[in-house]
Amino acid sequence: VSAHGRSAALTPERERRAGCLMSGPACAPLLLVALGLAGFAPAAAAPGCGAALGASAQRIEAPAGQIAWRATTSPIPVSRHFALDIELCPAAGQPMPAAIGVDATMPEHRHGMNYKASVTPAGSGRWRAEGLLFHMPGRWELVFEWRDAAGMTRRLAQRLDVE
Amino acid sequence: VSLPRIGAIRPARSTAAACGAVLALALALGLPAAGPAEPLPSSLTDAQIPRIVALGPWPPPAVPDPSNRVAGLPAAVAFGQRLFNEPALSANGRIACASCHQAARGFSDGLARGQGLQRGDRNTPGLLNVGGQRWFGWDGANDSLWAQSLRPLLDAREMGGSLGSVSQAVRATPALRDGYRAAFGEPPGVDDERVAVDAAKALAAYQATLRSGRTPFDQFRDAVARGDRAAAAGYPPAAQRGLAIFVGKGRCWVCHGGPGLSNGEFHDIGRPHFAEAGRVDPGRHGGIRKLQSSRYNLLGPFNDDPARATATSTRHVSLEHRHWGEFKVPGLRNLALTAPYFHDGSAATLRDVLRHYSELNEERLHVDGERLLVPLRLSDAEIDDLLAFLDTLNEAPAR
Repeated sequence: VSAHGRSAALTPERERRAGCLMSGPACAPLLLVALGLAGFAPAAAAPGCGAALGASAQRIEAPAGQIAWRATTSPIPVSRHFALDIELCPAAGQPMPAAIGVDATMPEHRHGMNYKASVTPAGSGRWRAEGLLFHMPGRWELVFEWRDAAGMTRRLAQRLDVE
Repeated sequence: VSLPRIGAIRPARSTAAACGAVLALALALGLPAAGPAEPLPSSLTDAQIPRIVALGPWPPPAVPDPSNRVAGLPAAVAFGQRLFNEPALSANGRIACASCHQAARGFSDGLARGQGLQRGDRNTPGLLNVGGQRWFGWDGANDSLWAQSLRPLLDAREMGGSLGSVSQAVRATPALRDGYRAAFGEPPGVDDERVAVDAAKALAAYQATLRSGRTPFDQFRDAVARGDRAAAAGYPPAAQRGLAIFVGKGRCWVCHGGPGLSNGEFHDIGRPHFAEAGRVDPGRHGGIRKLQSSRYNLLGPFNDDPARATATSTRHVSLEHRHWGEFKVPGLRNLALTAPYFHDGSAATLRDVLRHYSELNEERLHVDGERLLVPLRLSDAEIDDLLAFLDTLNEAPAR
């Protein structure tokens, strides 16, 4: 759980359904959302995952694993490109994935970014996502995805109010 | 679940509350509150104050385009201005850039749709503050001002030239040949494409100097930013009411944000999709396709910056179905000079523009569109107030 947010309580069933999210049409969509605030008042990350990103790193935590991230520009600006430094800490027993995906949407406006982020590995479970741009102020949902050992897509998201 | 909210739209507060917000802003900025506690004659809320401050400062710093090796060079600016007014670059020898981009009209033409060798599909955009943008043209088909400057030279409906004819005009016209040598340090060579692209880069160097000055709104914005209530109180009350709508219930600021009052991106605002009966203007969707197939984009061989520092947008732009019918969000400075409005010039006046937003067809938009847009149902008095606000974005108030 981020220092100032809350994460959805994940029962095994809910986590299983979330894992189905990208795996087939029969699976009911369920977004695992860790709620927190970023941008204007980033919270300090708790020790552990993402410690190397510094005190301003944000953290999303769920049974599937933890994501810590830090924007290269803080607060995240409107209508200007920014990048993210990311560290993924899979749940115990899960291997580090070969790749992760990063995206963002404005659920209340029914659209995403006009840009597709590129993610490159930086070693030791860290990645760099570039090319993000929030072209409007408002509520954005930053989404991280990866596949676990069973091939199921894990997704963690964080809502951000950007102005 | 309760989310921390920043800048949530709230009901208008009392004058005293708005005044307090300015004071609080000054304290937050570490600035002394100026003068006695004079009331700010405004219905602005504390949430709206930072939105107003974000509409400046003006002018922003001029940053030369690294993809253009002659950007900012006086000799290139002079050569570009000469080219801008040179009809020899067109196929019939009678049309210059300045034919459609007229200085007295904010470098637009006053027509609904551009008229070059043929009538175009879109309104001729003004060129004030065109430098430093991310995308160029109503559909953003170009990612640099120099690539955008090359386009009309070669477009059969506009100036109708070719790489060969443009470069030959530069080589054969003494004043142009001399201007090229001064700007680029060598005479124009035999490579037609290089000479034509260089001419476009000189045109870009000139156009980047076309910047508008400060306005009454900028004075007000700066006064608010520094907590100078006395100076802020000089802003016309009608403009303040219009501004409150702009950053409040109108939500205009969401897309018309930043010092240029544009987010530089593209939206479908419910205007007709058809350029003419039976022919759709694809807008941004077509623009991205043109961009990605262009030899002159920032990922191509004519970018003068080896680091490709300004190519991030081009590298990451994503083609989506929703881009159909989207057009670039225009800036709002000096609008008095650039009527008519919208991408197709279909609104003769700013009052017509505001009536569109007041009465727009919600079902048309929400089929696949931006949920932000809803009919504003503005009263005549509110439209008058918004017009008063927009008027303060002109260097010389129009009314």
